Amino acid sequence: MRGGNSVKFIRKSSYDYDLRLFPEPEDKFWYALLGIALLIAPLILPPYFLGQAVLVGIYVIAGFGLMLLSGYTGQISLGHAAFFAVGAYATAVLEKSLPFVLAFPAAGLIAGAVGILVGLPALRLSGIYLAIGTLASSFIIGEVIARWESVTRGSSGFAISKIRIGDFLLDSDARLYYLVIAVAVAALWLGRNILRSPLGIAMMAIRDSQTAAQSVGVPLARVKLIAFALSAAFTGLAGALYAHKIQFIDPDQFTLLLSVELLVIIFIGGIGSLHGCVFGAVFIIVLPQAIAILKDHIPSYLAEQTGLQAAIYAVLLLGFILFEPAGLYGIWLKTKHYFSQFPHYQKGSQKDQKSHARGESW
Amino acid sequence: MSLLTADDISISFGGIRAVDHLSFEIDPGDVFCVIGPNGAGKTSIFNLVSRIYPLETGRLLFQGRDLGRLAAHDIASTGIARTFQNIKLFDNASVLTNLMLGRYRHNRAGLLEQCLFLPGARRQVLADREKVEQVIDFLDIERYRDKPAGDLSYGVRKIVELGRALVSEPTLLLLDEPSSGLSPEETLDMIFWIEDIRDKLGITVMMIEHDMRLVSAVANKVLAVNLGARLALGSATDVQADPAVVAAYLGGSPGDPLSSH
Ligand SMILES: Nc1ncnc2c1ncn2[C@@H]1O[C@H](COP(=O)(O)OP(=O)(O)OP(=O)(O)O)[C@@H](O)[C@H]1O
Ligand SMILES: [Mg+2]
Repeated sequence: MRGGNSVKFIRKSSYDYDLRLFPEPEDKFWYALLGIALLIAPLILPPYFLGQAVLVGIYVIAGFGLMLLSGYTGQISLGHAAFFAVGAYATAVLEKSLPFVLAFPAAGLIAGAVGILVGLPALRLSGIYLAIGTLASSFIIGEVIARWESVTRGSSGFAISKIRIGDFLLDSDARLYYLVIAVAVAALWLGRNILRSPLGIAMMAIRDSQTAAQSVGVPLARVKLIAFALSAAFTGLAGALYAHKIQFIDPDQFTLLLSVELLVIIFIGGIGSLHGCVFGAVFIIVLPQAIAILKDHIPSYLAEQTGLQAAIYAVLLLGFILFEPAGLYGIWLKTKHYFSQFPHYQKGSQKDQKSHARGESW
Repeated sequence: MSLLTADDISISFGGIRAVDHLSFEIDPGDVFCVIGPNGAGKTSIFNLVSRIYPLETGRLLFQGRDLGRLAAHDIASTGIARTFQNIKLFDNASVLTNLMLGRYRHNRAGLLEQCLFLPGARRQVLADREKVEQVIDFLDIERYRDKPAGDLSYGVRKIVELGRALVSEPTLLLLDEPSSGLSPEETLDMIFWIEDIRDKLGITVMMIEHDMRLVSAVANKVLAVNLGARLALGSATDVQADPAVVAAYLGGSPGDPLSSH
């Protein structure tokens, strides 16, 4: 950390500096490279991996939604599968009469409104009670979706056609991929804006001390409801994209396991960081494949246990919370720091050793 | 006209009257100290002013406004800022972010402006930042700017919390035991800061304090309370000599400020 701090001292001269999207000059380079990689990915990825990449993008958007509420505002939610479902069903139903370009944002708005409805009774809850409260709300929403057959077609499920934007049909994974990436990038950009604005700072204040937040003028109820609304809206948009990816939805796809997956994304990715949403989303998509490979190599009585995936989630979650609370993003930062300091790091420690030796010779 | 008027205010918890029909007035430019043994109800007075506790009786008027009609989060925008006895910082955020939050009441950027970071939001953040940097200079906490508040030593946390209150540019500053836990040198700094806050920044100060050296150095009015009620009100010397005050402290606590004097 030594080197990092001395650099930051110089920054004071220009406050604009901290407001840049890419604070370090070399960041621009790396993000540009990442941008190019994302753009050409459909040209080089085999179809199966492209499909997985679409899912990663969808999980980034949903994870970002949950990150706003749980990671930044500190309001834990065990019910985000419900907002995902609301977004998926809203777009499916609306697209019977509206074009996608209208139905898609409307699905986000509807999910956001449902978020406010869930947030209102949850305002007085925190911690485990809030988790249970949001879980209960999600069961109610799930039940409504399953029973409201005239609109949602209940348990027989809902087939969804491909996205059409004007005359342009998104009839391949590659085309859907570009849309999903665009929405994910827009979501993260919006997140960055919120976090450098008073709203984002107020959210973090609520997470760390509600009394102090109130004392500097943060209206707790209002900011929490905004967080609920934005969070549910983005998770809903992710759900709407998911519906188009899968092209068939039914109530069984949006269970507690999905809510837990979203929590795994933000906890393992890195709580309270936008990068964490991306790391977590990649992780949650790669993990089941890793488990599938693992299954071939472990005794069959273990491999055929139904709860294997849930158990592995649980163990990993606990492990990260105990040993690396900053998540995969924390590990990434440490690695990056180590390599950026690599030569200096050695020189520095040698100098320390020498002066230490000198000290001892006295 | 007085800045803050407390007229017959009370709050109780179960059977305990933490504040018991108390009245006092603070004038602009005062450094108004509240002293009293442990559990006397001092912090409860602050919590009534902050609207963290509801008023059971009486009224609180700040610049003629009835604070009783406001919500807790509206108090900051009237121009009242405070610190907490057991320091409440945003521990996962940097010192800079903690101070930026102190500016919250000055925010004029709307929700959409912030989400899209339109010029209005940028202007707001830059203006806030400028004020924050002034306070960082004033309190000399430059070297902690980018450190998470949770990693700092107790004394520095205390100063950062003072900074968070100052950046809001309050008219009235409430300090709950500013010197507790500070080293003798840090306490000296605190005396200078409080004098500067009054003289250079023109902020009226109400503070709870056990250290009578600090009280005598900065206070022009001292209110002694016990069991939520007023024992004495006057200059530091008069109040310390007051028989009721002496009796309260003699009957009192190990944290006795008079004996340490
Ligand atoms: N939220 C609360 N719930 C229950 N009792 C409370 C609460 N706040 C204060 N009290 C009680 O009211 C009385 C006054 O407390 P207060 O914190 O105001 O005292 P104080 O003068 O600030 O003491 P100290 O010098 O120890 O900080 C105490 O008996 C305390 O236990
Ligand atoms: Mg107290």
